[in-house]
Formats: sequence, C-alpha cells, structure tokens
Amino acid sequence: MTEHRLDCMFEACPIPLLKAHKKLQTMKIGEILIMQTDHNCSIINVVEWAKKQGHYIDYIELGEGQWEIYIEKAK
Amino acid sequence: MNLKHRLLKKPWPYWVGGVVLGLLNIFLLFTTGSAWKITTSFLYLGAGLLNKLGININDWYYFKTYGTKLNVGETYFSNSLMIMAIAMILGSLASALFVSEFGIKKIKNKKQLTFALLGGIMMGYGTRLSFGCNVGAYFSAIPSFSLHGWIFGIFMFVGAWIGSKILFKYIL
Repeated sequence: MTEHRLDCMFEACPIPLLKAHKKLQTMKIGEILIMQTDHNCSIINVVEWAKKQGHYIDYIELGEGQWEIYIEKAK
Repeated sequence: MNLKHRLLKKPWPYWVGGVVLGLLNIFLLFTTGSAWKITTSFLYLGAGLLNKLGININDWYYFKTYGTKLNVGETYFSNSLMIMAIAMILGSLASALFVSEFGIKKIKNKKQLTFALLGGIMMGYGTRLSFGCNVGAYFSAIPSFSLHGWIFGIFMFVGAWIGSKILFKYIL
C-alpha cells in the first residue's frame, strides 16, 4: 500500500487542509496520506472535511500538541 | 473521556464558540462601554513605540483626521484595548498550558516567513482603511446595527474566496 507523507508542522489554518486537498487529487484510491501537524484546528477541520468527502480518516496524538492524521482515499 | 478532557482538550464546536463570544462581547460592552476590537491595540502599540523614538505621529494624516480615540487618562501603552490584548494572550497561554499543548512554533522556511510578513502588512494596512479587522469591523459592528459591518462582511468573503484561490493555485 502506497503511503504519502505531508509535513504540515508549524502551519496554521487553512494551509494543512488545502495541502491535503491538493495531495489527495494526485493520489489513487486506496492510497494513504499521513499528515503531521501541531495545529489543533487541523484535527477538527481536516477530519470533518475528509469525512464529508467520503474518505477514511483517523488521527492520533503523538506527543503533546502534535498529531498525525491518516487519510485513506476512498473515491 | 473525562470532563476536563472534553472541555479543554477537544476544540469546541463552532456554534459553542460563537455563543460564548457573543455573550462575552455583551459583557464587555456593558462593563467598558465599547464592543470588542483587536487591531486598534496594534495601532496603539506601534504609535507608542514610534512616539518613544521621537517621531511625532500626531502630525500624520491618519491621527489628524481620525484622532487616537483614546479615552481621557489613557496613553498609547496604557488603555483598555491594550489590557484586552494582553489578557487574550494570557488566556490563550493558560488554555494551551492546561492541556500541555504549549510550544514555540518555529518558522518553517523563508517562503512561510515572506508570505506571513506580506500578509501581516496587508492586513494591518487593510484594518486602518476599514477601521477594524473581522472582530471590530464585522463581529462587533453587525450587532451594533452598523451598515459598514455588512459591507465589510460581504467583501471579507469575496477576499477570502480570491485569497484561497491564489493560495491553492500559486503558493502551496
């Protein structure tokens, strides 16, 4: 399974979401996008947005105030 | 998930934030006689610093035409807006510390720095043309029945739409 990494550290809204949107357009169905972020808005707006788009999404808090978001492109 | 986690760790839904901000703004208007605004405190900070450097900003067109809008007994460094600005920073600090999310954001690269500075200058200049940001000229203006809040709102959305198109196509 192909994984794509997206470094969104030190970036604020709406950059992480727009970056994810742009990256997902170039990916094939079933591929995974891993985003690293330290912006707590991202774990709300990226997650809500990806769900609305119909992708599979999950996230974990790696350290305090740092997250990894996983998106599997579903369509 | 315990209460502390739900209350402090998870970002609140937008509607909860909206209601809380609305109530706080009423409280602020009731206690200080002025609705919430932010960018004028930056104006005071800049004006105060330039004044300290010996530059007579009171001669500037902006201040000559519109005045400083400081209340009697207030100075550039000591006024209700400055206290609000400091309080906002302390409040944000406290909420980050409560959930151990405090961290110094690094500058990612030169590109981010350049666009952040450019954006900051454009925003600062814009707030003086429109007498406020999305707080003073929009969030506080509309409940005050000021027509300029609606005009600000319409063009803010137009600007945000154009800005995000440019951001997506050329900058990201």
